Amino acid sequence: MIKKIPTRIFVFFLFLVMVGNFMQAQQRFPKPEFETGYVQPSPTTPEPRSIALEYFDVAVLLAVLSLASWLAIRKRSRRGLLWISIFSLVYFGFYRDGCICSIGAIQNVALSIFDPTYAISITALLFFLLPLLFALFFGRTFCAAACPLGAIQDLLVIHPISLPSWIRKTLGFIPVIYLGLAVLLAATGSDFIICRYDPFVGIFRMDGPFLMIFLGITFLLLGMFYARPYCRVFCPYGVLLSWMSKFSKWHMTITPSACIKCKLCKDSCPFDTIEKPVEQEYRIPEVSRKNLRRFILYIGLIPLLTLLGGWIGSRSHIYLSRVHPDVYLAELIITNPELKEDEANLDIQAFLEAGKSFEQLVEEAVVIRSKFKKGGWALGGFIGLVLGITLMNQVVFRRREDYEPHKGDCFSCGRCMDYCPVERPLRGK
Amino acid sequence: MKKRSLTVVVLAILAVIIGVIVIDFMNNRPDRRGDNPYALDVDEYKKVDENLISHKETRNFSLGTLTATGICYYNDRLFLVGDSSLVVISPDGSPVGMYEILPNPTCIETDGDNIFIGYLTHVAKYDTSGKLLQRWPDLGESTVITSLAIKDNRIYAADAGNRRVVIFSREGEIMGDFEGKAVTEAGHGFIIPSPNFDVVVNSYGELWVVNPGKHAIENYTDDGQMRGFWQNASYDIEGFLGCCNPAEITVKEDGSFITSEKGMVRIKIYDQSGTLLSVVASPNQFKEGGKAPEVCVDEQNIVYALDFDRNVVRVFELKGNG
Amino acid sequence: MKKDKGYNRRDFINNGVRITLGLTVVGTGAFALTQSTTGKDYVWQIDPFKCTQCGRCATECVKATSAVKCVHAYDLCGYCDLCGGYFKPGAKLETGAENQLCPTAAIQRKFIEEPYFEYIIDEELCIGCAKCVKGCSAFGNGSFQLQIRHDLCLNCNQCSIASTCPSDAISRVPADKPYIIKGDFTSGEEG
Repeated sequence: MIKKIPTRIFVFFLFLVMVGNFMQAQQRFPKPEFETGYVQPSPTTPEPRSIALEYFDVAVLLAVLSLASWLAIRKRSRRGLLWISIFSLVYFGFYRDGCICSIGAIQNVALSIFDPTYAISITALLFFLLPLLFALFFGRTFCAAACPLGAIQDLLVIHPISLPSWIRKTLGFIPVIYLGLAVLLAATGSDFIICRYDPFVGIFRMDGPFLMIFLGITFLLLGMFYARPYCRVFCPYGVLLSWMSKFSKWHMTITPSACIKCKLCKDSCPFDTIEKPVEQEYRIPEVSRKNLRRFILYIGLIPLLTLLGGWIGSRSHIYLSRVHPDVYLAELIITNPELKEDEANLDIQAFLEAGKSFEQLVEEAVVIRSKFKKGGWALGGFIGLVLGITLMNQVVFRRREDYEPHKGDCFSCGRCMDYCPVERPLRGK
Repeated sequence: MKKRSLTVVVLAILAVIIGVIVIDFMNNRPDRRGDNPYALDVDEYKKVDENLISHKETRNFSLGTLTATGICYYNDRLFLVGDSSLVVISPDGSPVGMYEILPNPTCIETDGDNIFIGYLTHVAKYDTSGKLLQRWPDLGESTVITSLAIKDNRIYAADAGNRRVVIFSREGEIMGDFEGKAVTEAGHGFIIPSPNFDVVVNSYGELWVVNPGKHAIENYTDDGQMRGFWQNASYDIEGFLGCCNPAEITVKEDGSFITSEKGMVRIKIYDQSGTLLSVVASPNQFKEGGKAPEVCVDEQNIVYALDFDRNVVRVFELKGNG
Repeated sequence: MKKDKGYNRRDFINNGVRITLGLTVVGTGAFALTQSTTGKDYVWQIDPFKCTQCGRCATECVKATSAVKCVHAYDLCGYCDLCGGYFKPGAKLETGAENQLCPTAAIQRKFIEEPYFEYIIDEELCIGCAKCVKGCSAFGNGSFQLQIRHDLCLNCNQCSIASTCPSDAISRVPADKPYIIKGDFTSGEEG
């Protein structure tokens, strides 16, 4: 009972405040008294898309993911996957204008964790979570059929070439950096770079600034020869998906029964994700010992690389923090005080007009910069850690007797299933 | 061989993409963005010929926690109201008295015998020591009282909400009202597009009411019959611009007007017939799109302007006086 | 499927990692949710009291013709003849295009009765440049204002005008109250 009293007082107080506001809102200034019976129009307010439709999008995503997983793992149908991906391209891409998207949702999640004033919408959260959970069980079926960005590139794979492994591995590291940067910039409220440099959204909307369209077309042209370049060299969500998929419970397999090692599937994969059977060489004592030594060395390198990365990241926090507009503005005014007089500099003029004091701006900039210092540690450490683990994986050999897709990198597109000669007789082709 | 050249091409395109993104990312900064192609340059109208400017801001005093809503000058004292306080200060800014009054006043006027304070829908009469003598009747929901003027036994209250001036007796009886409608072509009545509506009585006992929608200042008899007016709607310094100006006026001893405009804030002095005499303060000295400062003037021609946007009283003295 | 003994250990590790990863993902999501109030949807909107009419709404929107339009808050309008948002400063009070402030002539002026005129925005023509807003707030009541029109806005995750707005006037507002229309003299400034 005692506990309840403050609540009641609070509610009463809230009521008073609300009544007060309501009464204030009533006091409008009367209009001219028109004698001709003129009726004053009121400004129109077209409604935004209803929330029910947003939930419908989630339902569509769920349906697409379930169907794609079933097609990839049970039905083993490349054709089915292709049609689903075309549907996703039309629905999430052209109809929904490429927004809402799981890739961009990373930033909403990051911002909502670090900025208590930002509330993430359930739909964005589900778009972030569902594909990851599916990947954890069924592999990257999201990439195969639900992602409109993947679908548009997948349709334009014409003459894919295979790059040397070391180049691929190096390029494959870019998404990790991109992911780290995107999370850091989103968490500090600086920018949503994934959305800003989403290459295909301009094409989906058939409208957009020059840069967006230019990037989109360039990616598509590139994709004719280097299949799905955005997915493999940029996509930050792909990093998360690949971690999940690596440990997926039921991943798509190339062959429904025993592999005959014909190598056809390897040639069919435009993404170079099918790995050869591992020769037994590493079992030879000398090789094995050498590998063990390197393994131990790399394990030892992981904490070193993490620390080194973190240190570099924190050292560069001053540069990183300049991405935040407030920090940049504060620095700009400190280094170029004459810009205050520059009428053409809209940002500085707007700041001066807003009535916020310069000291306040600097204070805020200092707070943001300190966030970047911590964030720089995290970003550098993260990159170092991933680099270390990648290196370590270079000397971890797993016995592999058959041709198998690399579970992390495989998009589950199903092309290899079509090429598998073991499959064909079963299908009656 | 062909594959190798393709590899090079692929890598080159990738490098271009990364380069373009990085360059765009670095370049989209506040100091490297273009000008506003749609800028509306109003600076030209902010310029005022130096020779026209008669006054100079010599000092100002901040009002601290008081959010002032009205000011008037009487006998070497400035009277300010706001929140639930009446503050009396001497012209140098030192406080003389502070009294608690009914909350949320909108305007104040005094003739030395009483202090009249306007509220949104009613007027209250105080004695000079800040004691509430009478609370006058409420004038109804749509009332917005913006200004008061005193002539002998009559108190004129400008009611912007109902577009009329209400005449009270000193005891608070309503003696009548008028809406400025006349038979002349200027006789549409008061046009008040926003709650800016001022009424003054000058030292000759003439009642002047602003008709802001017409950019006019109109003279009335004590009972509200229009006697004459002058108006000047213009973008130039000679006239009033925007939709409700002059928003505030006051009168000097010699009967000339000190006007204050909102939007492009400027304070000017006009003679009785509406000829511009000089400029007290130019728009550069105020916030763009700001509220019109409420003005009052003392016997030495010093203009006190209550700047609502900064909550300070700004003091403008004749240039010659240094 | 694989019955090899060696694979059992790896399956065990895989299962462990999978559970860990799953919990991490779900945990991150749950944490993000607890940091947020509700599952409310948000849309972008311009606070007219913060807007400085910089013109970037016309140039920075991802749509070729901006989703930002001028909206007339009629409650504030003085219905004046001499309208600072309609006429070029200093122009004659004639409705010829050369006297109009709007670069696309998107403001229609209609005589109602002496001395009142109504001003209507043709949103088909409006490009959201805020020139009239500037004119209206510099000379008039400030009844013209910019608003993001939600039938046109794509509700991008990162609104590109919001990120270049010099006065931080654009922010996310709850989708059930998607407009901020001036018109209440008691709240905010009256311009």
